[in-house]
Amino acid sequence: MTVIEPLTAIFREVFDDDEIILSREMTADDVDGWDSLSHVNLIVTIEARFNIKFTQKELLTFKNVGDLLDSIQRKLPD
Amino acid sequence: MPGNWNIGHICTRQQCDAGLGDKAAFRWMPASGPVADVTFAELDRQSNRFANVLADLGFVPGEILFTFLPKCPEQFFAFLGTLKQQVICGTLFSNFGDDALLDRLGDSGARAVVTKKSFLKKLGRIRDRLPHLRYLLVTDIDSHQSGDILSYPALMAAASPDFTAPLTAAETPSVLHYTSGSTGKPKGVLHVHGSVAMQRATARDVLQLGADDIFWCTADQGWVTGTSYGIIGPWSLGVTQVHYGGMYDAARWFDILQNERVTIWYSAPTALRMLMREGNSLYAGYDLSRLKHIFSVGEPLNPEVIHWSRAVLRREIFDTWFQTETGAIMITNRPDLAVQPGSMGKPVAGIEPAILADDGTPLPDGEQGNLCLKPGWPSMFVTYLNNEAAYRQKFANGHYFTGDTAIRDADGYFWFKGRSDDVINTGGHLISPFEVESALLELTEVAESGAIGAPDALLFEKVVAFVHLHAGYVPGKELEIRLRLHISNRVSSIATPQELIFVDKIPKNKSGKIMRRVLKARYLGLGEGDISTLED
Repeated sequence: MTVIEPLTAIFREVFDDDEIILSREMTADDVDGWDSLSHVNLIVTIEARFNIKFTQKELLTFKNVGDLLDSIQRKLPD
Repeated sequence: MPGNWNIGHICTRQQCDAGLGDKAAFRWMPASGPVADVTFAELDRQSNRFANVLADLGFVPGEILFTFLPKCPEQFFAFLGTLKQQVICGTLFSNFGDDALLDRLGDSGARAVVTKKSFLKKLGRIRDRLPHLRYLLVTDIDSHQSGDILSYPALMAAASPDFTAPLTAAETPSVLHYTSGSTGKPKGVLHVHGSVAMQRATARDVLQLGADDIFWCTADQGWVTGTSYGIIGPWSLGVTQVHYGGMYDAARWFDILQNERVTIWYSAPTALRMLMREGNSLYAGYDLSRLKHIFSVGEPLNPEVIHWSRAVLRREIFDTWFQTETGAIMITNRPDLAVQPGSMGKPVAGIEPAILADDGTPLPDGEQGNLCLKPGWPSMFVTYLNNEAAYRQKFANGHYFTGDTAIRDADGYFWFKGRSDDVINTGGHLISPFEVESALLELTEVAESGAIGAPDALLFEKVVAFVHLHAGYVPGKELEIRLRLHISNRVSSIATPQELIFVDKIPKNKSGKIMRRVLKARYLGLGEGDISTLED
């Protein structure tokens, strides 16, 4: 399953910006409105749409979109 | 109008005239990219250019301009240039959604907004409901897009760097911040140029800022701390600041404290609590020998954080208290006063607080009541824009009623106890339950809603929303996400409920008013008190 497309759609919905184009290196500093509170919205939405769950420990390891992508990919069935 | 005041002039030209032209006014540290030092002379020139831009666009004193920007140098140039022209400068938090922007820009009748390209979409959606809005000045486009969407860089390049800011009376309007109440729309808190006297005095006497200090105030310029102490207070004293454009990041923040040799740091309890949770090993390798003092503002600082800082950072944290309406610190802990952990501290020189009953009767020490201030300090707001009645309601028996409740102990220390209204203080930001409820009602699924603030270990208070759905709709994860994102994008991320609770009915009194007190009692598992006015 390709993760980048549905993840892009989630980012655009959460941050209300249809022009977001994700890259692996992208961080919160690169997206308008990506603060600690909207980050909760992002995680909640990702968990619901992909039907996965992140642990608190995993959440702390995400440094950029690439880390998030990899984590989602690992949780999805082959 | 005669006088010796102009915040824009005092923060720039006056510093240059005092021989500080070559001194760094601030070191700009973007989230990524090169660091840049901006001297007081350059701050003067850039703000002069912006003042001239406004003159060329036909602005006259008393009109209103807003900045709607993340932290960036243009924020400071525009803010000070606007004040130099005696145009009123409002600032908007960069995460405001459509409704929040519409309320503020609509009520104020703002003529222009300085913003960035990616925010044009939000502004575009509400533009047709803002008949007074004439110009959008965009900081990251190279050329004008139309007659009213203009390139800030192009305008600035064409403007003269020379401008003599006219001095004015202390009571000339200067800065506008909107603040939330428990009912109705946000209210525009209007300040005046004379407020700089109080901001300068408290920056010097409370924050202890002096000529050799490096000051870092982490507040966003969308809030009063970001203007009073992220701009006016330190620059009116010629103090060098650090301004960082990135988000919260514990290691990055401590890199800045160490490497930029910050001497005075002003932050917020929520951020300090987040730092406390990172684990103490993170801080072991940092050399904070230059850091003299840490101050905090926004919501009460719990003693646990003070004890953590003493043990791990080897520094006292001094909690300060003020409001958008007060414009400057009123009650505070400070280095020359023994800290009573959990206390607000004592009044600043010249400030006369009182604890009064609802009828204005003074209450004895140790008794909880309304925290009030005797009016007349220089940074006191002068009105709620377009709402003089609401302004007048804040005063009774010769005192300003802050909306906070507190006690004063026998030693003269003040202790915050809570709010006397329903306003929610989450992460240091005041949220109106009315704004959250109104946004929820915009969704077709929602029949009724009620929002409260509930205690939270990190945020001080969290937003909890109760939602009653129309018949035919059922609660579910997707709906919950839709509600969360709607509030985040219509109001702001900080207004997003941390909890959404679906209920069969929202308690109201017989005249239809939401009884948030009852919602809160139910949420906390407490007695509901007098419910005789509850509708059947």
